[in-house]
Amino acid sequence: MEFLNFLIILWAAWLVWWRPERERLAFALLIVSFVLMALLFLIGTHTSFVPGVNL
Amino acid sequence: MIALTEERLRGLVAWLAIALLVVPVGGALWLGAAHGESPCILCWAQRTSMVLIALVALFVVRYGPRPRYVGMLVLLGAWGTFMALRHSALHLARDVGQGFSGDMLGAHTYVWAWVIHWVVLLATGALLLLARGPLTATPGLQPGRAGRFAMALLVVIVAANALQAFASTGPPPFIGQADPVRLSLDPRRWVWGGWEELEGRPSLRGAWTIPQPDPFAADPDPAHGPLSDLPQLPVQRWERIAATLDGTLTDLAIAGVAAAGSEDRGRVLAVTDRFGVYVLDATLSRVLHRVKLDPGYSIDLSPLAGAAFLPGDTMVVLSTNKSYVLLTPDSGADPARDWRHFLEADGNVTEVRRSRFATVRARQQYVLALAYDPAADELITISVPSPRHQRLVVSRFDRADFLLSSEFLPRLDPALVPSGPERGLAEYVVTGAAAGDGRLYAISAAYSTLLVIDLQARRVTTAYAVPGLSQPVGLAVRDRELLVAQADGRIAVLARPLQ
Repeated sequence: MEFLNFLIILWAAWLVWWRPERERLAFALLIVSFVLMALLFLIGTHTSFVPGVNL
Repeated sequence: MIALTEERLRGLVAWLAIALLVVPVGGALWLGAAHGESPCILCWAQRTSMVLIALVALFVVRYGPRPRYVGMLVLLGAWGTFMALRHSALHLARDVGQGFSGDMLGAHTYVWAWVIHWVVLLATGALLLLARGPLTATPGLQPGRAGRFAMALLVVIVAANALQAFASTGPPPFIGQADPVRLSLDPRRWVWGGWEELEGRPSLRGAWTIPQPDPFAADPDPAHGPLSDLPQLPVQRWERIAATLDGTLTDLAIAGVAAAGSEDRGRVLAVTDRFGVYVLDATLSRVLHRVKLDPGYSIDLSPLAGAAFLPGDTMVVLSTNKSYVLLTPDSGADPARDWRHFLEADGNVTEVRRSRFATVRARQQYVLALAYDPAADELITISVPSPRHQRLVVSRFDRADFLLSSEFLPRLDPALVPSGPERGLAEYVVTGAAAGDGRLYAISAAYSTLLVIDLQARRVTTAYAVPGLSQPVGLAVRDRELLVAQADGRIAVLARPLQ
């Protein structure tokens, strides 16, 4: 999924530079990539969402 | 103050994006290419976050500083800081030189991710501070040379990351791994998977979800205990603490090191759940000294659970979170100095030290019992089980430095038979302990059982059912007797098993 996420980022970057009129789509892809990144992190930490220390 | 025009801002942001792509993201790629380092699933998320920050910077370079780009930068900076903190917390407290995988300039990559996301937040704030007037974006303003270079660099860096991600984590639906293998371009070495990450139930704090111990929630009936056919140790008589204490009694200790005939011999140290520490005379009716500890001063104290006399007229009290306080009678105690330690005091006790015991096997467990072993000159704690950690751990601390000297999970003597295949010592909730003659006596509120542990053999040699107890909270040795203190202030006197 990390591989897919970098492809999404590449797509967004391509739109920003070569299709600047598609800013809304590029920004939407940025949001999607952010959410995917956050989800993958939460999968990796779901057994303890906060740091394993005294709070 | 240097004001930033939009054109200057775009150029500056382009250079910041270049720096971000070259140093941390490029450095991570270099670690992979030169040293075969593969990111774990958490590292991938933090690296992706840094790439996304560079991408947002290029949105600014391309379209100008629109508010939602600034908002996205703040979100990424804040989320990235949290991710890096969460990740670093796994390793920050390890021993010197220990960490996860490689490092750059003396710090591991997850620590750099923390620094970088924090700097992104700082830089965003600084740029907003320097901006001239409201944020505006001029349509049609073309990026400069730095912007175009930053864009090309982003494409190259992201493409390289995509290649590494393909080799390291695979195409969808595979995801990053907790413990990746080193990077290889040989497909036979590729390990794709990662969904085992979903094993385990979701939790906010994981292994740190430890409820405060409630020893009296356990079944007090010895017949239901994990050891079958235990002999009974009947209560010979009852005594009672006649002195008035503030709070519920949680442990007591008897001074036994003073010479016979000395008036100090037989003094009783009692502690309560309201942080009261009392020195009583041998009749349990007169308060000789008293203080009420300040539980929030510097090193926090959870409710007091243990007490012991040490040589040299020193007393030690223990809280359930393994914090401890050393006290000594002092008729010349300075009230001004001790005001910071005590909420109440009679002016005859001073605090010598306040610190914490550190355990290994009993980590993330509370303790409800403290004993002092004069033969080894060591303090002893016994952990209580929790739903997360089902262990009974005996931890010993050298009185010279109050550091852990040994720790063990007692084994059962072959003569003691568990009452079922799943039953064991971890079911006992030890609320009081006392040591003497090489033995550790431990009273459990669960199943009202007295355990006798041979400290040399690290083995429970005998155990007794003690019928008639109600909420035992402490244990003390008085010559040939064992005193079991109860929460109601009554004390059960037992014959001390010497075999």
